Amino acid sequence: MEAYVDAGTAIDFRSLSDLSGKAPAVAKNLDYDRLLKARDAEPQNWLTYYGAYDGQRYSPLDQINAGNVKDLKPEWVFQAGSYGMHSGASTYSFEAAPIVVDGVMFVSGHDNWLWAIDAKDGTELWRYKHAAPYDVSLCCGNVNRGVAVAQGLVFMTTLNAHVVALDAATGAVVWDQVFGDVRAGESATVAPLVIKDMVLVGSSGGEFGVRGHADAFKLETGERVWRCYMVPKPGEPGSETWPSEGEAWQRGGGNCWTTPTFDPDLNLVYFNTGNPCPDFDGAVREGDNLFTDSVVAVDADSGQIKHHYQYTPHDVWDYDSTMENILFELDGQKLSAHFDKNGYLFILDRTDCSLVRVVPFVDRITWGEIDAQGKVTAKVFPDKEGDPVHFWPGPAGAKEWTHAAYSPKTELLYCPVQDIGATATRRRREFKESIPYWGAGVAVDGEDIAGSISAFDPRTGQETWRWSHEQPMCASVLATGGDLVFAGEPSGRFNALNATSGELLWQFQCGSGHHSSPSTYTVDGRQYVAVPTGWGGWVEGFLPAQIGGRAGNALFAFALPE
Amino acid sequence: MSGTTEESPAVAGLRRQNGTTLGRVLGSGNIAEAEEGSDGRMKATIRINPDELVWDPGVLVMPHGGEIELTLINDDLNTHCAVLPSNGDTKFIWLVNHSKGTAVLDLDGPGYYWYGSKTGNDEGRGLTGAIVVSGDTPPEAKLDRPPQPQP
Repeated sequence: MEAYVDAGTAIDFRSLSDLSGKAPAVAKNLDYDRLLKARDAEPQNWLTYYGAYDGQRYSPLDQINAGNVKDLKPEWVFQAGSYGMHSGASTYSFEAAPIVVDGVMFVSGHDNWLWAIDAKDGTELWRYKHAAPYDVSLCCGNVNRGVAVAQGLVFMTTLNAHVVALDAATGAVVWDQVFGDVRAGESATVAPLVIKDMVLVGSSGGEFGVRGHADAFKLETGERVWRCYMVPKPGEPGSETWPSEGEAWQRGGGNCWTTPTFDPDLNLVYFNTGNPCPDFDGAVREGDNLFTDSVVAVDADSGQIKHHYQYTPHDVWDYDSTMENILFELDGQKLSAHFDKNGYLFILDRTDCSLVRVVPFVDRITWGEIDAQGKVTAKVFPDKEGDPVHFWPGPAGAKEWTHAAYSPKTELLYCPVQDIGATATRRRREFKESIPYWGAGVAVDGEDIAGSISAFDPRTGQETWRWSHEQPMCASVLATGGDLVFAGEPSGRFNALNATSGELLWQFQCGSGHHSSPSTYTVDGRQYVAVPTGWGGWVEGFLPAQIGGRAGNALFAFALPE
Repeated sequence: MSGTTEESPAVAGLRRQNGTTLGRVLGSGNIAEAEEGSDGRMKATIRINPDELVWDPGVLVMPHGGEIELTLINDDLNTHCAVLPSNGDTKFIWLVNHSKGTAVLDLDGPGYYWYGSKTGNDEGRGLTGAIVVSGDTPPEAKLDRPPQPQP
């Protein structure tokens, strides 16, 4: 028989492209001191997930401003694309917040992609692809929310619950740690956060009956520093809020699937926890169910819980509190602000997580009521088997995980608002590991829906202005020193609003809906606004009327004409 | 119910090209397990048989995560290629008619990964396979809770 032709050895797919495989070593000297001063000392960069530890999603850059934003144009587009089969094939979405360090952008995409991109012209510099199991359990789509960069490394979580550290100049793997159990239904979508010499991550899987946790690893080696469970074991503080008998705590949820904020003076990390599990069947987990649906202030060095505030005790509406706690100072007070899925804006004293103020921020709230002292009264909930119950806000919340912003210049909070209800019918089911564990059938409204970008005065909780929209607003907002608030729509339009009046000043159609976190930066003195676009994720939860909207997978960078 | 164990022509036609369908439906093909040497290294051979347009095996089972060395043989009378999952980047190899090559993959598991071909509609005709990684999550990453009921 004729000898086989020698086909050689399989090579990296990326080697058959024009990418160089190298980026300038911009992250080499990016240390903790620089991260502490990120926004104030380096406004040209966007160094952390929120731009700074305080989670304000504010940039003082003002080259693009209310006076000239009408001239803003797309400068370049990065097409992420896709090939072959991937997990969550119909639910992928581009949800990341681009990080920018001295002219190099680091951004993650669906299916464990990570790219280094020239932030000036959009040229791909290197890419990393962590192989993702096709069958990994994903509650809410094949997504990733971003990366962290420090000490010459880039950190990303993977769908199969690893955290990987890559050389920021080449994309080569430096270390790889597993921090979740995919056989239990855990996964990871969170953007890591670097604090001191550690990288912090959290698990996803709250719809599969897991026990939520946050983890810290040494950033140089990947060695575990601590793990903090957000549902206590029997006998631990908070365990009195779970049934004293039975297994409810073992499947209690409370996942940390969005990035925390950090107060270096208090040395406290403000984790945001997800729903208790099963989401809608509260009868199998009587009690408040700490520390689900809470802000949990954790000592950065030890991982010990120091303070907490529970936004929705004994949640039976799927009201995760995973969205950010924005840290800011007003009149000498150290405060935090949090727009919860349950429709209320909470202002806390972040030194001890005590309530300062609570006010509703959406028009329709029927699930219950929270009074000025924070007393919660549940009114409408799925408590009878097979009995449909309609309530506002629906399980995607009056604000989803996508982030609000705070401008220290205007002293206003800016929130993407979703005014959309849902019907839940309790359907009890037996728990089995790795199988979805909701305890209800759920249908989110397709009609009679609305949205807005709303501005609030944190001193009073009063709404200052509202830019109304016919659909829920499902993307993070960005506030800038140019008196602008950027906000993407489900339709694909990317908007710039006047930060003091809410007037629409500029709009660009990106071709696919927004469900990500835009950032801004400068290179060679020119300001850019970058936004990943690509409609997808848990659309059936936050806007099912647009589940047929155009998919996409592109990052746009905008700038003023030179 | 027909009361017989004989396959209908429609079912039988799913196991060849241009039968019931135009190509072979997803999940077609044989199942095989990778071999693990005394050094812990895993190996397997995957072929493309003449005019079948499926990987053989279509489902390859690895005993655990880690590196595996594949020998890839194209016995078909047309040119194909392999697009294979691996941590770091997808691996790619051209497989002209009557050729043989290798690929080293690094896969975590547990779970399964797709592999295919990036030529024409090879994947649609049948050249879509799965690499299954058995095993469990490392103990240090598991949840601190008692064993749970399984499906």
